[in-house]
Amino acid sequence: MKRGTRLGVGERRALVAGLGVLAWVVGLLWIFPVAWTVFTSFKTEQDAAAQTLHHGLGLGRYSDVSHSTAGTLSLQTAFTNSFVVVVVSTLIVLLLALPAAYALAIRPVHKWRDVLFFFISTKFLPVVASIFPIYVYAEKWNLIGTRTILIVLYIAINLPLAIWMTRSFFMEVPRELIEAAEIDGTSLVNQLRSVILPIAAPGIAATALLCVIFAWNEYFYALQLNFASGSTMPQWVISNVSTRGNFLAKLSAASIIACLPVVLAGWAAQKRMIRGLSMGALK
Amino acid sequence: MTAAAVDVALKGRVGDPFSSAWRRRLPLLPALLYSIAITQLPFLVSIYYSFTNLKDKTQSLIPEPTKFVGIDNYKQIFSDPFFRQAMWTSVKMTVLAVVLSLVIGTAFAILLDRKFVGRGLIRTLLITPFLLMPVVAALIWKQQMFSSLFGVLNKALTFLGFNSVQFISDHPLGSIVTVLVWQWTPFMMLIMLAGLQSQPSDIIEAANVDGASALGIFRQLTLPHLRRYLELGALLGCIYIVQAFDAIDVMTGGGPGSTNVPYYVYEQSIGGGFRYGAASAYAIVVVIFAIIIATFALRVLSSLFKDEERA
Amino acid sequence: MAAVTYDEATRLYPGTPRPAVDKLNLSIEDGELLVLVGPSGSGKSTALRMLAGLEPLDSGRILIGGEDVSAVRPRDRDIAMVFQNYALYPNLDVAQNMGFALKQQGVAKEERTKRVNDVAKLLDLEPYLDRKPRNLSGGQRQRVAMGRAIVRHPQVYLMDEPLSNLDAKLRVQTRAELVELQTRLAVTTVYVTHDQVEAMTMGHRVAVLRDGELQQCDAPSTLYHEPANLFVAGFIGSPAMNMLPVSVGRTVNVAGAEIRIGDTPGGGERATLGFRPETVLVGGEGPIPARVRVVEDLGSEVFVHLVIEHEGGEHRIVAKVDPPFAGKSDDDVRLTLRGAVHLFDSTEVRRATVTL
Repeated sequence: MKRGTRLGVGERRALVAGLGVLAWVVGLLWIFPVAWTVFTSFKTEQDAAAQTLHHGLGLGRYSDVSHSTAGTLSLQTAFTNSFVVVVVSTLIVLLLALPAAYALAIRPVHKWRDVLFFFISTKFLPVVASIFPIYVYAEKWNLIGTRTILIVLYIAINLPLAIWMTRSFFMEVPRELIEAAEIDGTSLVNQLRSVILPIAAPGIAATALLCVIFAWNEYFYALQLNFASGSTMPQWVISNVSTRGNFLAKLSAASIIACLPVVLAGWAAQKRMIRGLSMGALK
Repeated sequence: MTAAAVDVALKGRVGDPFSSAWRRRLPLLPALLYSIAITQLPFLVSIYYSFTNLKDKTQSLIPEPTKFVGIDNYKQIFSDPFFRQAMWTSVKMTVLAVVLSLVIGTAFAILLDRKFVGRGLIRTLLITPFLLMPVVAALIWKQQMFSSLFGVLNKALTFLGFNSVQFISDHPLGSIVTVLVWQWTPFMMLIMLAGLQSQPSDIIEAANVDGASALGIFRQLTLPHLRRYLELGALLGCIYIVQAFDAIDVMTGGGPGSTNVPYYVYEQSIGGGFRYGAASAYAIVVVIFAIIIATFALRVLSSLFKDEERA
Repeated sequence: MAAVTYDEATRLYPGTPRPAVDKLNLSIEDGELLVLVGPSGSGKSTALRMLAGLEPLDSGRILIGGEDVSAVRPRDRDIAMVFQNYALYPNLDVAQNMGFALKQQGVAKEERTKRVNDVAKLLDLEPYLDRKPRNLSGGQRQRVAMGRAIVRHPQVYLMDEPLSNLDAKLRVQTRAELVELQTRLAVTTVYVTHDQVEAMTMGHRVAVLRDGELQQCDAPSTLYHEPANLFVAGFIGSPAMNMLPVSVGRTVNVAGAEIRIGDTPGGGERATLGFRPETVLVGGEGPIPARVRVVEDLGSEVFVHLVIEHEGGEHRIVAKVDPPFAGKSDDDVRLTLRGAVHLFDSTEVRRATVTL
């Protein structure tokens, strides 16, 4: 049984295959720094520094960085802090953004364009501009070194993006469904739950993922508003940069551990994220 | 539903708390109030500080009482050569990073638009730099790639017989831009991929039948179609990249070639200068610039919104 | 202007068991308007796209003007195509849309403008020349799509259901204009549609496709009066031909009545009797008993939907009568068959046509 051809008319197989090869080369080159870091994380420090492989590969560095020494930030502490901050802030962001998106998409307020622009404009202000007043008041209210202050700030950072994207996904919901629910007298909460969310769910997942990425990776506020021993994952990675002796392999292991959760989440939700970025931002 | 129709439907009674207009606003209020509280209040406080000579008393050698100094801080800005340099560095860094990541991202998107064996895998790999922590990305490039002692690039160069290059010391701006482009290209690629795939296939077929070459189709039809996506990528890229901080802190710690405005303001305040009054003035000036640029960005945004209405 | 030939043309999509187009053989004459018609999935669009070069051939050849173009890219085939959704270039205005192909060929601006204006006048598009497609109505877009093809003076026009997105009235009007235009331009045209009324009214010849295979290619009246098989008989003509399972002898038994069909004694083999609505006379003392279900009075003609008891089951029949018709639902009437009736054997091929 013949298999049928995939080439278009007049297309040369060599050219098409060549493009595929080029894509492979480009992809592998681009990821090289990460791949090399993964490789290094299994080496001994000697090998890492010399960029050679003499002593074999192992998980030694991973256990090195996982053990905490007194006085320095431990992996457990940093991971817990990051996890709590990211999960709580993302949940609250969604809690605030979903109704706001409803008010901008489904039953829009009069000045929805202005409101949207306001939200986006809050991202134009550099973070460093507001850090000092925030620091002063955080100190006054004993919030330095707590997860609370980070949660509060991360919500503010991610809210504009979440509102913008969620609004676009809500615009996808067919008008007739909303109108039918209105005729039936469904309340806002129920409308959200039974009509809007099922359709917009993939988009909201993509939005949540992006919020998680930005919150997990955030460094500046976490650095400024925490003591060295109480911070989040980015700070923990930096703490593996040492002035004494070789640290490259340990640093590599630490980097991999720190980035793994978000990378895996991003890989798994790739298609959703693509759809989210494109439609969420554009429609 | 067009905006005009919405406006007509909304000519309800304003002021009555149970009227249609207020019921529409209610769901918006929590997010709006929260945003105003957390982002605008610190800003207002900063404005106040910028008119004082506030310093961190525990850090300065000469204790000074805090007093109102009017616009002294602002006058000082314009005679500060370092601030001007930071502004210029900001512009260079942002423009270079955004433009390069857009161009490379578009090229990657074109490459990934066709099906080929392992396309999903390659796309997964290409996305990865965007998912990394910016500090980790900076560290990888600083220690693994650029390092003069351990770096892979220098090892390769010396292996091939060239001299090793002090990437970070000799080319601070270039090093930082490299890391930024490395991380943001995947983001641009995703946006441009969406743009490419949203172009209806029958238009490309019609152009083929009408005799256009592949390059001709790209130039005359695809690029105009991608304009909205390029604008969006540039807008989002600028918003995030102009605030770049992590890479600078990790790779160069400041220094003449690589200090952008956020980093300079940081250095003047918490980062060592502890001159909070002056630093606040800098920050306000930056905000004014940001508003000017934002007005420009608003035009881009409204055209995006207008397209949406027409669609 | 050229003749078009499909020579055993086959397209098999990878991973599917059956070809979308299976060994298609068609010879289209220079200047002819040939309609490819069939239900969805019949392969008609695929066959058109193979001619355009948008689908590759897995075996066989396609010839334009005597030349084998099977491996030639669409842009080198000198064809013009009108797409179902018009595929107008959204960022170009009407004039630029129509002039696009000429620009690709390097035609000078003055001549481009002149040719575009000539066609714009022909199609009443002059007031819209500087509008973008999104500011045009469906009918206007359709004309721009046509104009884009006409400007090019190609060897062959290809049209992929160009009228299916128009509303009914506009469709009928545009149909006639299209036929007029094609006659005037006298360019070979291959036209795809799923609507058999369009097929019958527009084509010099009509090719009926089913599941990738050509059923019959003939002038419309031939298809109507001499269908090659059961599928063509049932597809062409509206309302569809009535069909009853019968046993063939000198007579066939329809609802208990013996209708004489010929002199040669048959062996009683099973066959299908096909007869069009206009061959069913209602009323009087006909041999076939029936009951009226519904009467559809269209003004110029009346369709009577009936039900008969045939071979132990109920069968529905449609009759076409001239107005006025006095009957109504649930009336008992008697039917006579007068005119051409067809016999299709067990392989669905038409074996005989008898005029009663």
